[in-house]
Amino acid sequence: MILVRVEDRSGVLQRVTNCLARRGFHLLSCSVGQGPKPGLLCLWLRVGTGPQPPDQVIKQLSKLIDVVSVEDRTETDPMEWVTALVEIRRDGDEMELEAALQEPGVQVVRRLKDSVLAAVAGTPEQVEVRLGQLRRLPVSDWVLGRPLALGEGGAGQAAAVGNRQVSGS
Amino acid sequence: MCATALLGFDDNQREPAPARRCGAEILLRALEAEGVEVIFGLPGGANLPIYQYLPGSPIRHILVRHEQGAAHMADGYARASGRVGVCLATSGPGALNLVTGLATAHFDSVPVVAITGQVATPTIGTDAFQESDVIGATMSVTKHSYQVHDARDLEAVVHEAFHVARTGRPGAVLIDIPKDVQQQIVEGEPAQITRLRPHREPPAPSQELLMAAARSLAGARRPMILAGRGVAIAQAQAALLALAEHIDAPVGTTLLGTGVFPSSHPLALGLVGFMGTGYCNLAVSNCDCLLMVGMRADDRVTCRLDGFAPRAEHIIHVNIDPAELGKTLAADCQIAADAGWTLEALIKETPERRHPTWRRQVDEWRDRHPLRYPHNGRLQPQEVLAACYAHRLPTDIVVADVGLNQIWAATSWTGDEAGTFLNSGGAGTMGFALPAALGAQAADPGRRVWAICGEGGFVMTLQELATAVEAGLPVKVVILNNGQLGMVRQFQDDFYGGVRSEIEHSVIPNFQLLGSAFGCFSVAVTCQAELGEALEAAMAHPGPALVECRIDPEANVYPIVPFGGGLADFMECPST
Ligand SMILES: Cc1ncc(C[n+]2csc(CCOP(=O)(O)OP(=O)(O)O)c2C)c(N)n1
Repeated sequence: MILVRVEDRSGVLQRVTNCLARRGFHLLSCSVGQGPKPGLLCLWLRVGTGPQPPDQVIKQLSKLIDVVSVEDRTETDPMEWVTALVEIRRDGDEMELEAALQEPGVQVVRRLKDSVLAAVAGTPEQVEVRLGQLRRLPVSDWVLGRPLALGEGGAGQAAAVGNRQVSGS
Repeated sequence: MCATALLGFDDNQREPAPARRCGAEILLRALEAEGVEVIFGLPGGANLPIYQYLPGSPIRHILVRHEQGAAHMADGYARASGRVGVCLATSGPGALNLVTGLATAHFDSVPVVAITGQVATPTIGTDAFQESDVIGATMSVTKHSYQVHDARDLEAVVHEAFHVARTGRPGAVLIDIPKDVQQQIVEGEPAQITRLRPHREPPAPSQELLMAAARSLAGARRPMILAGRGVAIAQAQAALLALAEHIDAPVGTTLLGTGVFPSSHPLALGLVGFMGTGYCNLAVSNCDCLLMVGMRADDRVTCRLDGFAPRAEHIIHVNIDPAELGKTLAADCQIAADAGWTLEALIKETPERRHPTWRRQVDEWRDRHPLRYPHNGRLQPQEVLAACYAHRLPTDIVVADVGLNQIWAATSWTGDEAGTFLNSGGAGTMGFALPAALGAQAADPGRRVWAICGEGGFVMTLQELATAVEAGLPVKVVILNNGQLGMVRQFQDDFYGGVRSEIEHSVIPNFQLLGSAFGCFSVAVTCQAELGEALEAAMAHPGPALVECRIDPEANVYPIVPFGGGLADFMECPST
């Protein structure tokens, strides 16, 4: 998980995603939010680096002029929140469906004639477990949102760019 | 930049600036304040307001024949002068024609600012006539780009663009200006520069890291230095020479580093890598400590990465761009800093050393693997280059194109004057040499500038001969005409089963007539005996000159490392 603070200018997301794509990195998730500092956006990124050294993501993003800071937050465990929407048909076991809708983190959004639309919210792990349970029911459609993250105030590890000694000499 | 200029006062007359100025005027004043002397450009619908005000500016405009030429000229100007090169194009096709040139400059860390006209703001996004998303198209070949939506921002944007282009690892920056913004009237004093986003320096390397590097160099019995263009950018040639002599380490250079170490020095090993000298590649393959300074560890340098410097117990990699450290090569000591600063620090921290055994070994490799070429009665490119280099003054600038001609020009290089050999290394852009030479010539009319080309690369941008004549840029173009895309032909011969496919130029212009058609002096050379006279005549001619040398079509570059091989696996000239 990487926290990137960028200047809130038009085209800045394109610069970030272009940088990742150009370097052959895979953007697994990206949540964008207005951080507490005016004029700055916070991007929380999960990035797959493939064969490239993982620190290249931080180093390459750090080179963008609109990027103010890049922090590796993998260790500091930022708060993440995910929402999913699930549509469940009512042609299955009604009792089982109602029980599932009572589970914590599950909320009924709308009841339709043939189906129920439910929202599932929680940490990514919680939502994964809950979705696993719901999928035993006759699910006709579902969508899983990208995580929102918060950790702005936490003590992030400043991205270590450049100078280092890899093994003692 | 002077403060009075910023405030809108003419420096000499101290008169208040006109209260109403349009975006185009603001742009030109900002460029003047940045010390821009020359712009390479071509007008079109979306930059005409700038051209309307250009005649009133002291900045010289050189009218190119193709925008790619403008970008290469700005690049050549910057490489030769160390200042920021500027090019100007219209929107759509004009802007897109810059892309190859910007990529070429950016790849080689050359500070260039490109200014493009854009369709008027209200029509952006409507597929208006000659609209193109030049910001999107150039995003991966520029350090940064701006689209200016308000003429009041122009001055600050120009200054920030120059700042970004030249600081840290230099590169290309684009400023896209919609036509209505060029015409927008700004009342009153121009806005003060609100801020320049500072270049973010990586934290200075710690003393421990420097000491570790110094200890590795001091403890080495077979030290070796490789140097790249970063040494030239940092103007650290003297420090490189001092450190090499101090620790008695042979020095190889990258293609872009050609010239950063005096070729006549006993420690000089010439070009490293894929088509490097055998002795340099052997020295890298056998050294026990390798210092790589001001260079990337790219595939043309390392060849097979796991076979690179296999006996080195320590590799010290110095680059101002932290992202270049550990990107491909995991050096054990990674220093993100200016090459000059680091070399000076290492001289201070490292005790003097002598390595007679290692030096003898390297000299033996030099004797055993000299650069060889066949003597078959045909004109050899190495003979042409030796004659050119013998005729040149030490301060002459040589710009090589891309292909075999480039490698011959680099490996035959003799010169002790820093920054006199230029070429497109990272991008390897054919057609670079002529326009880049024109840019270098514009930077310094007092120097002689040579362009060394193959006939394939030359014809890619030959229209700029018109620019050369028109702008009075007397470059001397040497065409190594082998009648084919020589480097491709050699790759096909050596690595692709000998299948010669689409490399033959059955139609080659008559270069004497072609040169004359543009008003250039031109001469053809078919044998070694004619070389001296032809070069003298070209040099004596006050304007641009073409010297076409009909070289052995089968001439190759050797040594060469087979694809997939390590540096020590180089193949040598088979006929000797
Ligand atoms: C714009 C561009 N297109 C294609 C290539 C690939 N390429 C590299 S060298 C070369 C042949 C160059 O031929 P020529 O200019 O005649 O020079 P020579 O190798 O014969 O000296 C080619 C096609 C390139 N580097 N640049």
